[in-house]
Amino acid sequence: MADPIKLAYFMAVKEGASYLGGLLVTDTSGIPLDFRYTEPITPTRLQSILYGKSLEPHLKEEVIQKTLLKELKTPPDLFILSATELAGGWSGDVKYPVLAVQKSQESPLAKVGDTFRAGPRELLIQLAEGAAPLRVMFAAAVEPAAQEQAVGKLLEAGYHMDLAEPLERVTAALQSLVVKDS
Amino acid sequence: MFGRVKEAMADAAETLRQAFAGLRVVEVAAEPFLPKAHGSSPLGTEARVGLDPPVTACREMQRFGGDTEARALEPFQTRLCAEAGWARWGTEAEVIRMTPLAGGEAARVGVPPLPRRAQVLGRLEPVARPGARRLSAQLVQPGARRLDPSLEAGGIEAGLDLMLSLAVPIRAEAIHNLPKGLWMRYSLQLVRGTGENVRNLEVLGLFRIPSKGVADLRHDPGQGRILVRLEASAVRAPRAPFILARRKDDGSLVSCFVEDP
Repeated sequence: MADPIKLAYFMAVKEGASYLGGLLVTDTSGIPLDFRYTEPITPTRLQSILYGKSLEPHLKEEVIQKTLLKELKTPPDLFILSATELAGGWSGDVKYPVLAVQKSQESPLAKVGDTFRAGPRELLIQLAEGAAPLRVMFAAAVEPAAQEQAVGKLLEAGYHMDLAEPLERVTAALQSLVVKDS
Repeated sequence: MFGRVKEAMADAAETLRQAFAGLRVVEVAAEPFLPKAHGSSPLGTEARVGLDPPVTACREMQRFGGDTEARALEPFQTRLCAEAGWARWGTEAEVIRMTPLAGGEAARVGVPPLPRRAQVLGRLEPVARPGARRLSAQLVQPGARRLDPSLEAGGIEAGLDLMLSLAVPIRAEAIHNLPKGLWMRYSLQLVRGTGENVRNLEVLGLFRIPSKGVADLRHDPGQGRILVRLEASAVRAPRAPFILARRKDDGSLVSCFVEDP
């Protein structure tokens, strides 16, 4: 029997002048297996000046994300970000397929499990009957073969769960942490 | 040889002469003894009033000079001589009597304190002169400081309990995609588990949820899913098929696991 699929959801948020991130690992039902989050990081004014526009990507990809990944006991099968993070030029270096999922407004595909490639790194997959297909965007480093394997895992998990929903939970958890600390 | 001795003698004599040349030689006129050739007068008595105090005649001894003539000795005559030196010694001698030390009256003198600051009255302040300052045009080499701009993540916290406190949506599986025999078995298990007539039940969905650790469960008919709140024990619990149904007569919900986990 194959190992159960584990999905890692990463989200980094900025609250005021502080950054914090969380990493949620779920099974294919969306049930949490592990959740780690960082303490808020507040860059100094000098650091903000020195890093400039690269401050936020550096914090999210190099500092927060790598720190959280080190804490994982078992590697996930897929590393899922928000579409905004990926579209912003995410250039993290991880060993897992990095992708983003987003609900689309496209017409449903013929049947559940169908896929439609909209670009070299973007495709639509039909997870539920009659529902709009899910948009999947891969990071630049994910090869086509790896993309195909990742789609297979997404179809298996999407049969039981809403693939985009766990990111909302991570965001809600991080915001509750900020409110609790303030 | 004799000549040298003679000169030496002459030098010694000259030396002595010069050495004693400054000495004052006091010529003392000595009364020469004048011998009298005529005979001595007889002793006579002279009546005097009262008694005269005995007088001792003193005579200074005179040295015989080279020009002393040998004359006839004159008879000794008594003369009243007075030695003024003794009297002068007695009168002119100053006897100093030391005054013994005695305790005197002592008074304590208070020393007034010095003024702390001299008070200057009516003094005109001098016109202040502008101080001259020197500005060096040479640029000082600045010190270099190093500031590490690296950003480091803080501590990592485990927040599984926090995540479990959030409701987990679980989507219903498509029942019509199940094999018919499997669905028949599930339906039979539903009737056994709830005790209801299968005709009185409306199946809302088949869900795979943890076999234990489900603290709360709510149905979301709009999305066709259920929202569950889980406990920590649910993370390790096996997933089991779970059917949620509604009684048609009263609308109440019934549920059961349709497989032993």
